[in-house]
Formats: sequence, structure tokens, C-alpha cells
Amino acid sequence: MRSLFEWVDALPSSIALRESLNAYPTMLTIHVVSMCLFAGLIAFWDMRLVGLTLKKVPVSNIPTRLFPWALTGYGVNLITGGLLLYSQPMRYYGNFYFWAKMALMLVAGINMFWFHYATYKSVQAWDEGREIPLNARLAGVVSLVLWAAVVITGRMMAYSGLMPGWWNNLNIGA
Amino acid sequence: MLQSFFEWMQGLPFSAWMLEETWASPIIQCAHLVALVGFAGAVLVVDMRLLGRGLIKTPLNQLARELDRWMIWSFVALFVTGAPQVLSTALKQYYSPFFWWKMQIIVIGLLFNFTIRRRVALAEEGTLGHWPKVVGFLSIGIWTSVSVYARLIGLLS
Repeated sequence: MRSLFEWVDALPSSIALRESLNAYPTMLTIHVVSMCLFAGLIAFWDMRLVGLTLKKVPVSNIPTRLFPWALTGYGVNLITGGLLLYSQPMRYYGNFYFWAKMALMLVAGINMFWFHYATYKSVQAWDEGREIPLNARLAGVVSLVLWAAVVITGRMMAYSGLMPGWWNNLNIGA
Repeated sequence: MLQSFFEWMQGLPFSAWMLEETWASPIIQCAHLVALVGFAGAVLVVDMRLLGRGLIKTPLNQLARELDRWMIWSFVALFVTGAPQVLSTALKQYYSPFFWWKMQIIVIGLLFNFTIRRRVALAEEGTLGHWPKVVGFLSIGIWTSVSVYARLIGLLS
């Protein structure tokens, strides 16, 4: 894995992106704005599942009407996040919060697919004004917690001096 | 006068504590970002509806009423977590043009929200022609500008 990161780090296009004055602020700003679109809409979907808000909106309306926008935000977020990683791979390789964020995104994705292919299939039975099953509410809580943790670990990536001691002892970034 | 006010803020014991306490700034910044996500979601669901997108099967005024309190409370959370950041880096903020642009647009955004946007969102649907779309578009533009300038304070100041 390290050699892959080092290989990317030495690519001329990675160096060019890293040395550009405007690339980093532009990519990071678009990354934050697209995060607002994606995470903001997903948060209200999750809160609808949990029963915190939008109770009069049929559950099935939200994926149909809001997910295309949320996925657009996610797509832009992935592209800008990928470019940020591409421009400074060795900065992130040894960063605990980067790997924690990747792991949390993976678990959030698994939770989303599990919900979509298992629990959501029976949505017609609890779509409008009926009690949302425990599995769906749990998936909503898990998703809320996981995406909040993704946002937090993403912000913490800037604090390379605040990584856990046990991680520093591994000397991954050295 | 404004400069001396910012110097006073920078000199407060709380500002010094924020800078000295290792975890204070990161925790506050993370909370600010989580609040931003909540605020963005509450604004976007209504703005998209104003644009004729999103939850179009739900009456606009019903959505606006329900999400209003989410918007207000997440804005309060943004303010509560934003103020300590301004206090602890008051002089950096004072000399950053992005900070002043951000503050001006926040004031415009709040005035716009509590006057025009709220009136349009709560009005009888279909009676205001193209105005809901104009208002939705402006609202997205205003709050996007705020987050862009906020990000640029940290990156380019």
C-alpha cells in the first residue's frame, strides 16, 4: 500500500496539483460545499427514519425525490476528495483520521446497502403515517452517527499532531 | 474602533484558553461542521421545493413550517460554535476580507430568510408566479457563498 501512495506522490500530475496555489483551496472548498448537499439531505432522510422530523412526508418519497441530489453531492465529494488525496498522498498515508474516515465511509456504505436491500423492501407496509420498524429506525441512527463521524474525522485530518499515541507508535507515516 | 474591539476579544482569557487547550479548537470546529450539515439540509430541502424540485408532493408551507425550527436551531449551534473561533483568532479574522464578506452575507441571508423567503414559502402555492424559484435560487446562492467564504478564511488568510 505504501509503495502505491509513494508512486502516486511522485507522478508529475500529482506534483503539479500539489504545487498549484489555487488547486488545494478550490478542491477543499468544493469538497465542503458538496458535503453540505450530500450529508445535509442524508441527515434529514435518516431523521425521517428515526421519526425526528418530516413525519407527514411518505418515507418512499425521500429516496425518489432527494437521493438524486444527494448522490450528485456525493459524486462531486468523491471526485474532489479523490483529487485531494491524489495531490498529497503521503500527507494522508500516515494520518490516522484519514484511515478512520475511509473505514467509517465503508461501514456507512454497508449500512446503506443493507438497509436498501433488506429493510426498505417492505416500505409499502410502513410508508405513510405508520410506525417505522425497529430495523429501519436503527439503520437511521447508525447512519446519522456514522456520517457525523465521517464529517468529524474529515475535519480532524488537518490535526496531524493530535493522532492517538498507539497510532504514532506504529510509525506508519515515517 | 472596530480594530480595538477585535484586539480586546483576542486578549480575553477565554481566547487564550482556546489557543492553549489542545483539543478546544478541534472539538469546536468539528461541532461547527456538524451544525453546518444540519443547517444545510434544513435550508436545502425547502429551497429545492421552492425551485420545484425535491419533495414536491408535500405542500411547501408544511415543509417550511416543519424545517424552520431545524434551521433556526442549527444556526444557533453554528453561532455558538463559531463565536469561540472568532474570539480565539480575532485578529486573523479582522484582517481577512473573507471574514467580513462572510459576516455581511450572513446578515443579508438572515434578513432575506426571515422576510422574503419565509413569506414566499408560507404563501398559498401557485399564487406567486416565478417568485418561489427566484427566492429558492437566491437562498442557495447566499448560503453557499457563506460556506465558501468561511472555508477561505482558514485557507487564504
